[in-house]
Amino acid sequence: MIRFSSLTKRYGPLTAVRELSLEVRPGEVYALLGPNGAGKTTALRCLATLLHPSAGTASVAGVDVTADPVGARRNLAFLAASMGLYERLSARELITYFGRLHGMDEARLSGRVDDLVDLFGIRGFADRLCGRLSTGQRQRVSLARALVHDPPALILDEPTLGLDILSGRTIYDFIARERAAGKAILFSTHQMEEVDLLADRVGVLGGGVLVAEGTAEQLMQRTGAPNLARAFLALVAGAADR
Amino acid sequence: MSAWRVVAAKELRETLRDRRTLLMMVVIPVLLYPVLLIVMEQLLLFGQRNLEAEPAPVAVVGQSAPALIEILEREDGLRLVEIGEDPEAAVRADSVGAVALLGEEEPGDGTRPVTLLYDAASDRSNRARGELTAALRAWGDSALGDRLDARGLPRTFAEPVAIADSSIARPDEVGGYALGRILPLLLVVITLLGAFYPAIDLAAGEKERGTLETLLTAPVPPRAVVAGKFVTVALIGVIAAGLNLGSMILTFQTGALQLTAAIGLEVSLPWSAVLAIFVTLVPLAVLFGAVFLGIAVGASSFKEAQNALTPVYMVVLVPAMLPAFPGIDFGPGLALTPVAGVAFFFRDLMTGEADAALGALVLVSTTLYALAALAFAARAFGNERVLFGGGEAEVDARAVGPLAWLRARRGALGVPSSSAVLLFVSFVAVAFFWVGIRLQVSLGESGLLAAEWLLLLTPAVAFVVFGGFDPVRTLSLRRPTRTGVAGGMILIAGAMPLVWVLGWLQTFVLPVPWEMLEGLEQLVTADSAGRLAWLLLLLAVTPALCEEAVFRGVLLGGTGEAEPWRRVVLNGVVFGLFHLSFETVIRFLPAATLGMVIAWAVLRTGSIWVGVLMHFLNNGAIVVLASTPGVREYFSDPEAPPPLWLVPVAAVLVWAGARVLQRPAAAAGADTSNSSHDP
Repeated sequence: MIRFSSLTKRYGPLTAVRELSLEVRPGEVYALLGPNGAGKTTALRCLATLLHPSAGTASVAGVDVTADPVGARRNLAFLAASMGLYERLSARELITYFGRLHGMDEARLSGRVDDLVDLFGIRGFADRLCGRLSTGQRQRVSLARALVHDPPALILDEPTLGLDILSGRTIYDFIARERAAGKAILFSTHQMEEVDLLADRVGVLGGGVLVAEGTAEQLMQRTGAPNLARAFLALVAGAADR
Repeated sequence: MSAWRVVAAKELRETLRDRRTLLMMVVIPVLLYPVLLIVMEQLLLFGQRNLEAEPAPVAVVGQSAPALIEILEREDGLRLVEIGEDPEAAVRADSVGAVALLGEEEPGDGTRPVTLLYDAASDRSNRARGELTAALRAWGDSALGDRLDARGLPRTFAEPVAIADSSIARPDEVGGYALGRILPLLLVVITLLGAFYPAIDLAAGEKERGTLETLLTAPVPPRAVVAGKFVTVALIGVIAAGLNLGSMILTFQTGALQLTAAIGLEVSLPWSAVLAIFVTLVPLAVLFGAVFLGIAVGASSFKEAQNALTPVYMVVLVPAMLPAFPGIDFGPGLALTPVAGVAFFFRDLMTGEADAALGALVLVSTTLYALAALAFAARAFGNERVLFGGGEAEVDARAVGPLAWLRARRGALGVPSSSAVLLFVSFVAVAFFWVGIRLQVSLGESGLLAAEWLLLLTPAVAFVVFGGFDPVRTLSLRRPTRTGVAGGMILIAGAMPLVWVLGWLQTFVLPVPWEMLEGLEQLVTADSAGRLAWLLLLLAVTPALCEEAVFRGVLLGGTGEAEPWRRVVLNGVVFGLFHLSFETVIRFLPAATLGMVIAWAVLRTGSIWVGVLMHFLNNGAIVVLASTPGVREYFSDPEAPPPLWLVPVAAVLVWAGARVLQRPAAAAGADTSNSSHDP
């Protein structure tokens, strides 16, 4: 569903991501772990067609992100930590706007917006401007916005950054529900407990390179660490030494 | 609905919910200017009435003149007062408005000198002077009449010619003339202001709020996003300008202004002219909208976009102000000048002298500029470096202490940000200008040497060291390859004669500052081997090291977020500005061109040493040529045409040098370019 094939991204003389290859299957949650500046955001932005890979490629639902970026976008939802809401649109207007950008016809869109409003408990503030919503409410609107076109792949860049425990819970529930619906989910994070809770598989990025990949247990076994946090530190330290 | 219309509809809805935009679009054009005009007029009238409410106090000092005193006492607008022995002190103390100092009348039918003492900086005194002058004229006329009567001559004897004004302009034409001086500027400014804030909000504001990423992951091509945003910005600009136009015309035509009626001005623009103005406003709003969007999208925040657009605003004001100046005729040249053409066409429409052909030229050229600006904006929206800063925008948040500001502007690559670099270069330029010139005046050639080392190289090194920047990346301190050195040498060998030709060509349009050139010639001419060595150190080695450190080092290194061609142009322009002097602008173009050539070579090779070598070769060649008898005379005359054969030879050398520098082997540190780094 989501595939990176030897993807490299350079900014002038610096290489942010080097020959990244990984795959996320339908119904699978894949966590991309890495310290600050490891290249997680760059990799996800390449997949979301925001950045052009310098070499290699990536695809979503079989659509190459470089050859057909617009086609790839139809199959993905990208959720950044900033949530990206328009302050002077109401929650309903915002979800409808993105539905229209995805080319949905008005009759289908209207029904879809109503479904999402109910699914994420937005009805009570659906007609309030996004600028007047609380963080938790904004987050629910943001999730509804991402799902409006019901894409098969979800890309979440540090989705719980800056959220309290309750709001974080909403994200966890969302990921679990979408996995059950057969979506391929790729998310980046620093939070080991998130990985423990949600991820089927983990990839560790260090210095732009995928230094390890597997289930949490496999990574712990490989490093001999008692938990994922220690395993992560060992893998990242190993990458830095190289 | 097509994607751009979806974007435009959303942007318009959001923009109309923004109080700041509504203020700029509706409140200011519709209410502020008319209200301001009326309030200003009322204040003016109030002040005038206030001044005229009391008779102006005047005094007469000197030889007695009973006839004058009689006239002054008869005048209602005057009050004759007694003053002390110091008339100037009395005027200064405001106890009298104006004083007539009467001299002694020459014997026979001579002239009596009268000096009027008043304070030109005081409204009361100016008014008293006017009243006193009228009274003195009446006195003079009366005295002349007495002399003519005494000789039995008619009063017309002293007035062989009677002059009377009779303007053929109708009051509405005079009104159009007055309007044509003010309104074009206001209309351009309002259109600009109308587009200014929406453009920032829709581009930089969207980046700042983090919504741009979300928007660009929707299945919509960037050109549709730009088109939607741009239609909104242009529409708001047009609405703001249209409302302003209507509001201003109504203000004048409904007689809301008493002053225009009092001086016989009539403002009645025909509807055809109003329509033509409105039609011309559309491409103007499109032009502003597209330029502003294209620039604003490169900024990372609303504030940064405001800073980036303010100079554009100032630049636009200059051509918009031109119609207010007398003596400028509107012709095809001005019609093709962006903004100026529109402003002049507006003026002519208001004065009723519009030329349809020039109007068409304005419309077509402004539309073409607008389309070019639109292409520029679309390109900016499709450029990931512009949108996401090329991964170099992260800052070191751990920086503390007095250098925190500087260090907070250090990108992930360890180079300073463009804002820090531009501030540094401005500081260096100001210091070099004020301190460097004093050093040169007091110490002569040694002062120039000291200025280069102390005010250019030292601050550049200090900036990099204390700013905590990576010296290799900031100053491009990489060892050049042989190919890079060879390419740089070939390129400068071709660029030098071309710059010479350029300098010669500009003597046709710019005055040649002979005194300055003679001074320069004396400075660069050596008459002994020792003197030549000293001049090479002073004028070739020193600038090559010190100026390169600032311009191709810090400035080029710190503008890495911009596209290469912008970096090169900016570098050349700043280098050219640095070589400007009060006397002339003649050095700007050659210096800017050389700056661009060297900057491009440094960018290609990644090594400042190539720039140092090119700069040394250029300046060194000038010193050697100026010191060679026989050649010196030829080169010292800027108006002497360069030999024609030089142009194709130089062009071939430039081409060859550029080709060599484009080879991968020209880039220094190509082996380190794949080094991994945290983005």
